[in-house]
Amino acid sequence: MTNSSTQTVLNAQSLTLKINQQTILNKLTFSVQKGEIYALLGGNGAGKSSTLKTFLGFNKPTDGKVEVLGQSLDNSLALLRSKMAYLPESATLYPHLSARENIHYFLSLASIKKSDAEVNDAFKRVALQESAWERHMQTYSKGMRQKTAIALALLRQAPIFLLDEPTSGLDPIAIDEFNLLVRELANSGASILMVTHDVYGACQVADRIGLLRSGELVGEFSAPTNGRIDTEQVHTAFAQKESA
Amino acid sequence: MSVASSGTSPLSMSVILSVTKDEWRYWMRSKLALSVLVIGVLLTLGSVIVTSIQMIELNHQRQSLQNNAEDTFVDQPDRHPHRMVHYGHYAFRLPSPLSMLDPGVDAYTGNSIFLEGHRQNSAMFAEQRQGTALTKLGSLSPSFIVQMLAPLLLVLIGYSTVSRERESQTLSFILGQGTSVGSLLMGKALALFFIVSLIMAPLIVSSVFALYQGESIAIVISFLLGYMLYLIVWALVILAISSVFSKNSESFTSLIFLWVLLCIALPRIASTTAATIAPTPGKLETDFAVIAELRKLGDGHNANDPAFDKLKASLLKQYNVDSIDQLPINFRGAVARNSEAELTQVLNQFAEKSMTKELEQTLLARHFGWLSPMVAIRSLSMINAGTSIETHHRFLRETEALRFDFVQALNTVHVEQLDYQIDINRSNDEASSKKARVSAENWQVLKDFKFEIDSPSTRLSRSTSSYLQLLIWIVFLSLIIKTIGRRLQ
Amino acid sequence: MSQLVSSITREWRFMLRQKYILVLLLCTLIVTSFSIFSGIKEVSQQHQTIERLKQADLKDRSEAQAKYDDVGSLAYYSFHLSYSAPSNLAFAALGERDVYPWKHRIRMLALEGQIYESDAQNAELAQAGKIDFVFIISALSPLIIILLFHDLFANERNSGRHDLLVSTSISSFSLWGARSIVRFLALYFCLMLPFYIGATISSVSVTMVVAISAIVLVYMLLWTLLSIWWAQKQNTAPRIASSLIGIWVLFAFIIPILGDLAINHSVHSPKGGDIVLTQREAVNDGWDLPKETTLKAFVETHPQYKDNLQFKNTWAWNWYYAFQQVGDQTAAELSQAYRDASQRKYELAGWPRQMPSPLLSMNNKSATFTKRFGCFITPSCLETSSLKNRL
Repeated sequence: MTNSSTQTVLNAQSLTLKINQQTILNKLTFSVQKGEIYALLGGNGAGKSSTLKTFLGFNKPTDGKVEVLGQSLDNSLALLRSKMAYLPESATLYPHLSARENIHYFLSLASIKKSDAEVNDAFKRVALQESAWERHMQTYSKGMRQKTAIALALLRQAPIFLLDEPTSGLDPIAIDEFNLLVRELANSGASILMVTHDVYGACQVADRIGLLRSGELVGEFSAPTNGRIDTEQVHTAFAQKESA
Repeated sequence: MSVASSGTSPLSMSVILSVTKDEWRYWMRSKLALSVLVIGVLLTLGSVIVTSIQMIELNHQRQSLQNNAEDTFVDQPDRHPHRMVHYGHYAFRLPSPLSMLDPGVDAYTGNSIFLEGHRQNSAMFAEQRQGTALTKLGSLSPSFIVQMLAPLLLVLIGYSTVSRERESQTLSFILGQGTSVGSLLMGKALALFFIVSLIMAPLIVSSVFALYQGESIAIVISFLLGYMLYLIVWALVILAISSVFSKNSESFTSLIFLWVLLCIALPRIASTTAATIAPTPGKLETDFAVIAELRKLGDGHNANDPAFDKLKASLLKQYNVDSIDQLPINFRGAVARNSEAELTQVLNQFAEKSMTKELEQTLLARHFGWLSPMVAIRSLSMINAGTSIETHHRFLRETEALRFDFVQALNTVHVEQLDYQIDINRSNDEASSKKARVSAENWQVLKDFKFEIDSPSTRLSRSTSSYLQLLIWIVFLSLIIKTIGRRLQ
Repeated sequence: MSQLVSSITREWRFMLRQKYILVLLLCTLIVTSFSIFSGIKEVSQQHQTIERLKQADLKDRSEAQAKYDDVGSLAYYSFHLSYSAPSNLAFAALGERDVYPWKHRIRMLALEGQIYESDAQNAELAQAGKIDFVFIISALSPLIIILLFHDLFANERNSGRHDLLVSTSISSFSLWGARSIVRFLALYFCLMLPFYIGATISSVSVTMVVAISAIVLVYMLLWTLLSIWWAQKQNTAPRIASSLIGIWVLFAFIIPILGDLAINHSVHSPKGGDIVLTQREAVNDGWDLPKETTLKAFVETHPQYKDNLQFKNTWAWNWYYAFQQVGDQTAAELSQAYRDASQRKYELAGWPRQMPSPLLSMNNKSATFTKRFGCFITPSCLETSSLKNRL
């Protein structure tokens, strides 16, 4: 896992997606390397979630191609999906089950067996308070639901994480904890593609940022070695492009 | 209509109306609601037209059969009067004016009866038996369409009436603007009520037609009011369920489930339960008891039967003669008349007993109206339309009276107009047989028969408990909606 | 294989946590059990009734025989009982036994005047219909299937879980397939378990039970596949269910009702009233017609009795019975046409019943048409007067 030679994990090549004659993505080209945190930044309707769903195989590209671990999705969708842990935007798990039951159910779907202790560890890692573990999730706040979903993603131990607005609904402390967690994952060799509209959050955690507008990639920013992407710079670009 | 008014702010008519208008706009824009509405009204209209034509045809048909039967009887040539007793007569049940909206048991009971001496026949030719057995689940009658399908259409149109606002979180938005829950629910109820009125329209039009055919206005109003209450029950069920659930799909599933339970399962459970708990002996079984009882009475054809010794003695005493030959009347006729009277008494006794049992069984099934508004409206509708089991019983009783009258009139002719000596020698040869006849003029004893259904007041009083059931449903649902309204606040 | 088992176990446990599915299944189980219970009760009541009728008939007959000693009177006062006993399977399919009489008592007089009488059950209850196993399978089970399967996908989509579920699951079969199988089997057993118990009590043959299980399985599968297929194509659960219920209404009401109208319109049947009127006139004319005419008509159809028909008086039993029979013969053509029309209508109605419609067959028209029996003049025939029923 700690092989540090650069390896393209997610790759989109002039990806075009049309749904009902409406262009959602237009010739989008970008890639995520192994161990990298890539943030797609964009406003509402920029095509962020559609990009994630195309990687997951829910959207078929109208033109261009997407590759996961160097393979086309057409060949072995199930296998490739098992390599990706997906965190949907508003992660509602089953409200009539407890967090633990949900985790066990979903893991079983993925054919993964985890002991209760391992699940507990994951809960602790995402800082889900212990009193909530066995409670039905309909009593959960949005942040707690998000944490449970992240715990699930962790437990799947997939090499790739696809995160849709992961920090929305989390309080500032939880966001910090989350960023640390994501960094930790990347350091251990996982690749992370997250989409967000939060400029500040993206700059805090991402190695690279792609700026998405109306389905087109209009800019890319890379972090300097051992540094962070300059928020001011991204923000200016973001605001400019938005108003353009 | 009394719907929850639990808002803190007073109910405002303009707010209610604007909620109603908004709901209608939603329905008009939603393809599903609009097409369901169109289908519903067309179905009701179609069934009203088709059933009306059918019932009018049946009415003419049976009327002419009845006239025909009377004419044939009266046109018979000179005969021995007892031949006419066995020749018999037919009585037909004319459909009531409202039966074009609810044919009720018409197709399930026979609608003609053969009336003859010494026997009470049951009705013959139930239409259902000559049918295709395709209409086991439902027929095209307007009553069925409105009782069974209209609630489904209402559900399809209105399931999301409140849950939609909750799902898209417009509810808190509306309430946040100062609209009271009461006004909101009232407005929604009013919108549903307009749909109910639309479904009712074809019924109302054809009831006016029934009015024109001679049905009493009280009955027509009560009939329509019953259906109105029934559909209001469903509108309230929809409002309540739609308010309880915060998701459209949950509201929908629960309403469909309720519909299956209340409209499809429970009416059948009701009749099955009644048949299981209170089984009625069939006519055949009672017939054995009747025959056993009748054997004791003696055969009216046989004047020498020892059973008639008593009659003989009393007649001899009455006319102060020594032998039956000396009687001024025909002893054979007297025996026939006497035994017919005794026999009819026994027959009626058994008939009443079995009708009572059958009615008890029916009433038991009708009690399920407390559990299912469909059962309540079914009974109410049939009772008001005069197509319930009670009306069939009335038909049986009236035809029995008709039978007894003409048989006894013929027996009286036998007693008074046919000489005893001629009568007992009738089988000696052709000539004696020809001699033992009476004039065909006597056949005029037959009365015209036109079956009339029960009086409006009788029908109204019979339908009280069904009315009560529907009203209780409405009160109960209103209370529930009120409680839910308080929770929504 | 173990993958399948573990998927099924997972979905089974998952289903046990879904309250509304459990409520639905429980209601199904209760209603089915009720139908089986009441069906068994009804059948046993019918058997008891037949037993009572047989005894009463025997008693009645011996009383009549004790009272009269001439052949003619014996024939006149004796009734002949005919019945169609419910089959072993009748508890599950009461069929039309509430509409058509399954018992008759007939005298050796003109038949046409007797066989249309109805000893049916309470008409108002018959109109409401009964809830038997066939009804539950044919009419209710599609609705339950629709309720169970219409939101298979839509529910997950609406709650935003769909993509997570699909991308997590190792294969779509292990998720949707297993979920559908579990729901289907649970429903199947809620419907069939009471039936199996009933079948055991009523000692239905194993082949029959297997055959019915197979029919029910295929029928339910058709509706399930239709529901799942439609559920995939549409987005919102209510929209899916609305169209499925629309299809149900089409099969349950619209097609049968239109079929009924069309068939009644195309098949012409003599009025029942005409048969009995014709027959009555013929029988009554018999009194006045020259006896030779009657006897000639009778011997034509019953040559074997031609030597038994001498009599001296104006009145004789054999002549009396002969003109009763001739009365039937006069109406025979009409009566045959009436029965043919009835039969034809029923056959024509077959095709809508063949479809996967809620009017699933299996309900056989029970004893409706009493086959006429020959006229008996010789005493020996008195014993053999049982009527055969055609099923």
